Amino acid sequence: MTSTENNQGLSALSDAMADAVEKASAGTVLIKARRRFPASGIVCAPDLVLTASHVVERDEDIPVLLPDGKKVKATLLGRDPGSDIAVIRTESLLPAVIEPAGAGARVGQLVLALGRPTEEGIQASLGVVSSISGPVHTRRGGVLEGHIRTDAIPYPGFSGGPLIDISGQMLGMNTSGLTRGASIAIPVKLGLKVADALVKHGSVRRGYLGVRSQPVEIPMKQQEDLSRQQAAGLLIVGVESDSPAGEAGLMVGDILTGFAGEPVAEPDDLFTSLAGEVVGEQVALEILRAGHRQEIKVTIGERK
Amino acid sequence: MSQVRSDYQRTLMAELNALCQHTLKSLVIVNNGRYGAGAGMILHQDGSIVTNHHVVRKSSLRISTMNGNEYSAEIVAREKKHDLTLLKIETGEELVPAPLADSRKLRVGQFAFAVGHPWGQIGSFTAGIISSLGSLPLRWRKGAVDVIRTDARLAPGNSGGPLLDARGRVIGINTMIMGGDLGVAIPIHVVNDFVGRKMDQDNAQNVN
Repeated sequence: MTSTENNQGLSALSDAMADAVEKASAGTVLIKARRRFPASGIVCAPDLVLTASHVVERDEDIPVLLPDGKKVKATLLGRDPGSDIAVIRTESLLPAVIEPAGAGARVGQLVLALGRPTEEGIQASLGVVSSISGPVHTRRGGVLEGHIRTDAIPYPGFSGGPLIDISGQMLGMNTSGLTRGASIAIPVKLGLKVADALVKHGSVRRGYLGVRSQPVEIPMKQQEDLSRQQAAGLLIVGVESDSPAGEAGLMVGDILTGFAGEPVAEPDDLFTSLAGEVVGEQVALEILRAGHRQEIKVTIGERK
Repeated sequence: MSQVRSDYQRTLMAELNALCQHTLKSLVIVNNGRYGAGAGMILHQDGSIVTNHHVVRKSSLRISTMNGNEYSAEIVAREKKHDLTLLKIETGEELVPAPLADSRKLRVGQFAFAVGHPWGQIGSFTAGIISSLGSLPLRWRKGAVDVIRTDARLAPGNSGGPLLDARGRVIGINTMIMGGDLGVAIPIHVVNDFVGRKMDQDNAQNVN
């Protein structure tokens, strides 16, 4: 017996990580939908697999390899290139669904990135959450509400695989398709929200308001009228005719300060608000008109 | 709660430190003249040392222990297929062989610690996990060898050194550094088989 053979903390942590990988690997599949290297997918419902949009280059007869070695075919249900998320439906039911984490990721937390790019078995790398950032413009023209950066090595084919905590619950989906070079993870909440929209509509419907705007400072006096501290809003510089904004009576010169109760201080705020499930909904816009706060009801259209 | 947590953290750090200190006793430096240093691992008290085939040049083969003593080594057996060489040194010092794990029971996700001399930094530790378990096709002939892949940082100079589990037991011999972020180790059961084959040969010769 050596002095290190009975250590408990370290081997317990080691076992916990191996357990986490084993648990999540049951819901991590191989997806062969591009000519290059295969990629990974996450079983998010018994017949649904969440993956990265950029690794799915075909719509039908997508081979999916399950953890037990079985092969099934899948069909593309929908994709959202803006957030690099696609959902495919398998012909037969899948054995295990990955469990999403209840709480979001925390900076410094230990994480494991998983992928199944080969038939040899699950692959994993260890790291910590390096940062969690707010809205980013992706190079595919979308805006991501948030993303997780880690220092775990993204091996080839990890795109579409899960980022998990050491209890085996999913914190996000790995992708290298959104940012040049770096690999990030899309937070699980956002990923599942987009997946839900893809299952329902085949695409992510984004809201349409019909205004052109630019950020402006709000004078102190008018901030008081808003009854909160908000230093900026969006000055409306154009309203399209026959648009939801036009029909609701929004005018050039209004300053948009709120959308359905959420403050709007910069263009990304409006973009993010319109990215949710808002198409067809009646929403209260908060504006400053002639220096005074007003609310205007608008029925959100769909951006084509 | 915070007391429990800080005790746990202390335990974790102490165990990590003990693991490092203990492992260094079984580590050696394989000097091969102008090609720089590789690593090696003490397999037995009799002076048996295992290292990579590719770090050993036959001329001027010298082994240094971590005590700073240097010895000339004799090549007992070598196998290019698995990139393994068995060496032997005669010493007066008491050698500490490394404890071995059962590398047929490894799991993806478990801790993996590498020790060696990356870029000439003697006795350096790096930490990671087992990234995958599989096999690698042989370059010059048919067949494949079992390998452990790890995300622990490996660099030239780690070759021939041990990869350890959380209990400080050797799970493999670090062999290849691919692209800076993927290390490949030969599982210790393959090393055992290699040593076993050499012993079988010796026994067969003795019988004849």
